[in-house]
Amino acid sequence: MLPGLRRIGLATAIITAGLSLVTTAAADSLRIPVLVPITGFLSLEGTSQKNGAELALDGSDVAFDVADTATSPEVAVNAFERAMNAKDVVSVVAPMLGTQMLALIPLADEFDVPMITVSGTARITELGSPNVFRFFPGDVVVKAAHARYAVEELGAKKPAIISQTTAYGQSGRAELDRNLRALGQPPVFTEGLEVSVKDMLPVLSKVRDSGADVLLLHLHSGPTALVIRQARAMGLDIPIVAGSAMHQPETAALLESAELLGGCAESGWSPISETGPEFRAFADAYRKSFNREPDAFALGQYDGVNMVLAAIRGGARDAAGVRSWLESNRYDGLAMTYASDGKGNMAHSAVILCYIGADRVPQIVKRYRNVTGVL
Amino acid sequence: MFAAQLALNALALGSAYALVAIGFVLVLNATTAVNFAHGESVVAGGFAAVAIAGLLPAGIPGIVLLPGVLVVTALLGLIIAGVAYLPIRSRPPVSVFVTTIAFGIIVTNGLNAVFGAAPRTAPALVGSGAVEFLGVTVSLQSLAIIATAALLIGALAFVLQRTQLGRQFRACSQDPEMARALGIRLVRITLLGFALGTAFAGAAGLLLAHQFFVSPSDGGILILKAYIAVVIGGWGSLRGASVGALLIAVFEVGVASVSSQPVAEAMLYIAVLLVLFVRPEGVFGEPQRVRA
Repeated sequence: MLPGLRRIGLATAIITAGLSLVTTAAADSLRIPVLVPITGFLSLEGTSQKNGAELALDGSDVAFDVADTATSPEVAVNAFERAMNAKDVVSVVAPMLGTQMLALIPLADEFDVPMITVSGTARITELGSPNVFRFFPGDVVVKAAHARYAVEELGAKKPAIISQTTAYGQSGRAELDRNLRALGQPPVFTEGLEVSVKDMLPVLSKVRDSGADVLLLHLHSGPTALVIRQARAMGLDIPIVAGSAMHQPETAALLESAELLGGCAESGWSPISETGPEFRAFADAYRKSFNREPDAFALGQYDGVNMVLAAIRGGARDAAGVRSWLESNRYDGLAMTYASDGKGNMAHSAVILCYIGADRVPQIVKRYRNVTGVL
Repeated sequence: MFAAQLALNALALGSAYALVAIGFVLVLNATTAVNFAHGESVVAGGFAAVAIAGLLPAGIPGIVLLPGVLVVTALLGLIIAGVAYLPIRSRPPVSVFVTTIAFGIIVTNGLNAVFGAAPRTAPALVGSGAVEFLGVTVSLQSLAIIATAALLIGALAFVLQRTQLGRQFRACSQDPEMARALGIRLVRITLLGFALGTAFAGAAGLLLAHQFFVSPSDGGILILKAYIAVVIGGWGSLRGASVGALLIAVFEVGVASVSSQPVAEAMLYIAVLLVLFVRPEGVFGEPQRVRA
């Protein structure tokens, strides 16, 4: 054998051995590939998604493989196609990154396999695909709660919006804008930011100059913390209600207690804020397995996978059976009751959290149940 | 007053970017190779600061961490040189592109595995808060970033201009064959370039990690900024790299404040295209060796 070929063979053997390390359960069992962004700008949220799925699947007799989809649609498509080479795939845990989901939907329809995700991008359930099931309240739900809290509870007359320029950001901004207009308080200022922006002073100065009385954020984790820190530093003394990234313990950890105080955020739920014994048990198990605090994305994906496992227990033995079960059944998950609205939106409630005390655990100050009226 | 505030923010951000760009040029001048792991070296510096701070008493100022960060990232530079450059230095430049890109991915994933995916923050250089200066509220961190960057750049200028080692370094960057003929050991200068360049990147990581946080995946954005700064300032020019870095910050802070951030970014790239069109060698272009 040529030296070069020997090297390629050795590399292939090493890569194959490495890949097999993340494969669990028996080879002849049903399979749920976990395709999530573990690296890249969405790695924090994607890791939570992975952890939630793993926590639900560990101990089940369903096999699963974890693959990193990073941040580009191409990587996600490759990961999906590789995953489909396996037999007995009954469902796929699909990435929360909206652009990746939009690329995967035609493939899921081609392979006829249901995808369960916690992506918030509104459009993924508006394309008519029967294979998208979203276990996180989409922008239609959380942005309605976001806007209502600003207008109805904080009395916003001149709201301002700062969002990300990603698909996630554009989707959330459109819903915020629509809801604020419906409530009779259109935004006086709106601007999109690239994920890489470091200095927030320019955009915050424009918020101040606009005369805004409430600032609504729809940003990823790091930018959310940057905006809040710089707003406090420049003395921008208006209420800030952030997107769901703010509720993540890792985001709060970036800020001093004084910077957090009074800040609020929307979310589907917040497992560390709930006091029920079932939530405590989930949080303890999560901490034990992953040595970090659980967040809403982890809980949403945990509930989503558990609903698929319930479908399997209910007799579904293939992708079509799982899809049919998800479409037609209600499921009482840990966070809420899930049911499809006919488009694959399974979660219909949201909460508003605020950092009220000196600690870094937000308190739930407002619950918006069954926003869509599906339940 | 607000304009002064913006100018100061731009200067602070530009100072940190200047360290990144200067580090990039140091490696470029020592090797003619583009080190695509340079952005990850900045990130490694930020995480080195986070890790070292974790070993020290709480509340310690970040400036105390600077020597440790410089040592750790200089060692990282030597590893990059030993693994991703020296074994293949006689091959076409594209080989070094690939090996340094691969090294950068390994650093990113290694940091992700060790520290997790979440953004982290390092201690403030000299403490948080602000001071009033000529009627402008000035962040202590911004002032500390500017002062630290100025100190490091001044020290580098002294070494390059006033020491025998610096003269050898400059000789190698201008004409390596002649330098070798004069008895200068090119491998030693190469290692010095990687160690110094990566240490500068690490220092930038420390400077950025408190105010702007640091995430394992930040490297790609930072190498892009370094590349743009060098294209604007002039390929191989340390002075040009600094000016290019400051110009990026002016767009990110100044232009964004009167337009919008996406417009400011678009205008920055238009400026880059204009420079390439009107003055391909960059504003402070020097006699070029091989452009990567």
